[in-house]
Amino acid sequence: MAVLRRLPALLLFAAALATAPAASRAQVAGEYDIKAAFLYNFTKFVEWPPTAFFDEHSALNLCVLGEDPFGRSLPEVLGEEAAGRKLVLLRIGKIADPTVCHVLFISRSERRRLPQILAAVRMFPVLTVGDTPGFLDQGGIVNFTLEGSKVRFEISQAAAERTGLRISSKLLRLATRVAEEGRPGA
Amino acid sequence: MHILQNLPIRQKLMLIALLTTGGALVMAGAALIYFDVTRFRAEMTEDLGALTEIVANNCTAALAFRDDEAAAETLRALRARQDIVSAAVYDGGGRLVASYGEKGDAFLPAEARAADGHTEPGGLGVFRPVVLKGERIGTVYLRGSRDELMGRIRVHGLTVGVVFLASGLASLLLASGLQRIVSQPILDLSETARAVSERQSYALRATKAGADEMGDLVDAFNSMLEQIQERDSALLKAKGELERRVEERTLELAQRNDELAQSNKELDDFAYIASHDLKEPLRGIHNYSSFLLEDYAGKLDAEGRSKLETLMRLTRRMETLIDSLLHYSRLGRVDLAIDRVDLNEIVAEVLDSLAITLKQEETEVRIPRPLPTVRCDRARVGEIFSNLVVNAMRYNDKPRKWIEIGVIDGEELPVFYVRDNGIGISEKHHDAVFRIFKRLHGRDKFGGGTGAGLTIVKKIVERHQGRIWLESSPGEGTTFFFTLREET
Repeated sequence: MAVLRRLPALLLFAAALATAPAASRAQVAGEYDIKAAFLYNFTKFVEWPPTAFFDEHSALNLCVLGEDPFGRSLPEVLGEEAAGRKLVLLRIGKIADPTVCHVLFISRSERRRLPQILAAVRMFPVLTVGDTPGFLDQGGIVNFTLEGSKVRFEISQAAAERTGLRISSKLLRLATRVAEEGRPGA
Repeated sequence: MHILQNLPIRQKLMLIALLTTGGALVMAGAALIYFDVTRFRAEMTEDLGALTEIVANNCTAALAFRDDEAAAETLRALRARQDIVSAAVYDGGGRLVASYGEKGDAFLPAEARAADGHTEPGGLGVFRPVVLKGERIGTVYLRGSRDELMGRIRVHGLTVGVVFLASGLASLLLASGLQRIVSQPILDLSETARAVSERQSYALRATKAGADEMGDLVDAFNSMLEQIQERDSALLKAKGELERRVEERTLELAQRNDELAQSNKELDDFAYIASHDLKEPLRGIHNYSSFLLEDYAGKLDAEGRSKLETLMRLTRRMETLIDSLLHYSRLGRVDLAIDRVDLNEIVAEVLDSLAITLKQEETEVRIPRPLPTVRCDRARVGEIFSNLVVNAMRYNDKPRKWIEIGVIDGEELPVFYVRDNGIGISEKHHDAVFRIFKRLHGRDKFGGGTGAGLTIVKKIVERHQGRIWLESSPGEGTTFFFTLREET
C-alpha cells in the first residue's frame, strides 16, 4: 500500500481521546489506564526470539520495576492470552534474573538507577518500556511520551535489534520517533 | 391471437420468425448479461474483500494504540482507488474511528457489528473484522462504486440491443426470402382456387411445388377439379339435350295450340253462323203459327189451338236455346273489357236486378265480408255472379233458403265462392254441370232453364285465366268456387 510509505512519522493531535472524557464518565481513561493498555498491546507487535521462552507453553512475563503507577488498571489486562501465551504480571524491586521478564516497565521512581537496570538486561530479549524523558538515549527500547493529554510513544529500533526483538513496522509507524541503528535519537 | 389470425400467411410466417429469433435473442442476451454481471460483481466483491482485508490489517496498530489519525491516513490511501466510494474503521466498541468518502448509513456503528465478511444485500459494501493476535479489536468497512457495474450493464445492454436489431434485420431479410417456400405454394393454390371459382373454368390446374403436405393438397385439389370438370361437362351436355327437347316440345305445343285455337275459332264461327241462320226460319215458324192462331181462330177447335200454342212455346224455347248458343259462341270471340272493378258494386247490382225474384223465393243473401277490387270484365263477371245466384236460388227445396257470397285467400289468388243450402250435386255430376245444355233435372222442375248458365260461367272464368270448381253434399248444399286472374 502506497499510503503506508507516506505515513508520517509524526502524528499530531487526535481529537478522539481529547473529547472522549467529556462524553461519558465511565469511559474516562486516565493516563495510566491508557499506558496499561498500550503496554499490553506492545506484546502483540513485538516478536521475541524462541530463546526467550523455556518452551511454547511458557507464560509471557510483564514486569513492573519500582513504584507501580498503574494501580488497578494493569491487573485488568492480565490473564489474557497473547499470541497463545498467558500473560503474567510481576512486580519486582530489582533485576535478579534478566531472563525472567519479557516486558520490563521501568517506573519513574527508578530513573536514577536507569543506566544500571538497562545495562543488566541489555543483552537479553527484554522489551524495556520507560516512562521517563531521555529513556531511549540511555538504551531503552520504548518510551511513553505525552502530546498534550494524548499518550504516545517513541521507539529505538536500534536497541530492539540489539536484543534480538523484532518490532512490527505497524508499531514503528505509530511511534512519534524511531531511533534507528547508528543514529540513536534521530 | 384474433388479430393475428387475420394476417396474411406471408406476414404470419415473418412474424413467427421474428418473434422466435427475437425471443431467443432477448433471453440469451438477458442470461448473458445476468451471468456476466453476477460474475463481475462476485469478482468485484472478492477484490473488495481482499482490499478490505489489507486495510483491516493496516489498521491493527492504529486501533490498538487508539491512533485515529493513523487509521484516517490509512483510509486516505484509498484515494488511489477510484472504484472505492467510501470506507470506515470502527473500534471494538463500534465507535467510528475514521472514515473516507461519502458519508451515509453505511457508517452507522450498528453496521460495524455486522457479521464478519458480511456483504450488503443490495450494494457492494464489505465488512472485515480487524483482528490482532486472535482478538477482534475493530471493523473495517469498504463500499465499492457501482459505476463500473452499471457501465458494464449499459455496455452489455447496448451490445445486446445492437445485436438484436442487426439480427432482427437479418432474420427479417432471411424470413422474407424463406417464407416463400411455405407461403408461395399456398398462395398459388389459393390463386388457382379463386380463378376457378371466378371464371368457372374447371380446366385450370394448380402447379405442384414439392412432395410435401402442400404437394399432397395440390394433388387432391387437382383431382377434385378433374372430377368437377367431368361432372360439369356431363351436366352441360345433359342441359343442352334437355334444352333441345324442351324447344322441340314447345314448338310442338305451340303448333297444337295454334291448331286448337284455329279449330275453336272455326267452331265458334260455325256456332254463330249456324245459330244466326237457324233463328231466321224459326222466327217464320213462330210467326206463321201466330197467324194461324189469330186468323183461323174460328175454325180451330180447342185441341188444334192447344197444339198450335205448344208449337209456339217450342219455337220460343228453341229461340232461347239458340240465343244461349249465340251468346256462348260470342264469349269465345269478343275481347274482354278489362278494368278495375269493385266486386261489391257488381254483386250489389246483380242482387238488385234479382231483388223481386229473391223476395218471391224468400231467399236470404249473406255477404260475410267485403269483396276486393280486381281487374276484370265488369259485365261478364256480373254474369258469373248472376248465373250462380240464380242457380243457387233455383235448385233449393228448403223452407229457409240462403245464399252466401264471399272470398277466401287462395294459394295465389283470392278465391270467390257462392254457397247455398240447396239440393246439392252428387259427385259424379260435378263435371257434367258445366256441359252445355246438360240438364240434371226435368225441364219443368226447379223453374227450368236453358242448361247453358254454368257453361257460360265456366267460359267467362276461363277467359279470365281462372278456374272454377265446386264442392257439394247432396241434400245439404253446394259451393261454387272460382278465381280470376287480374292481368288478362
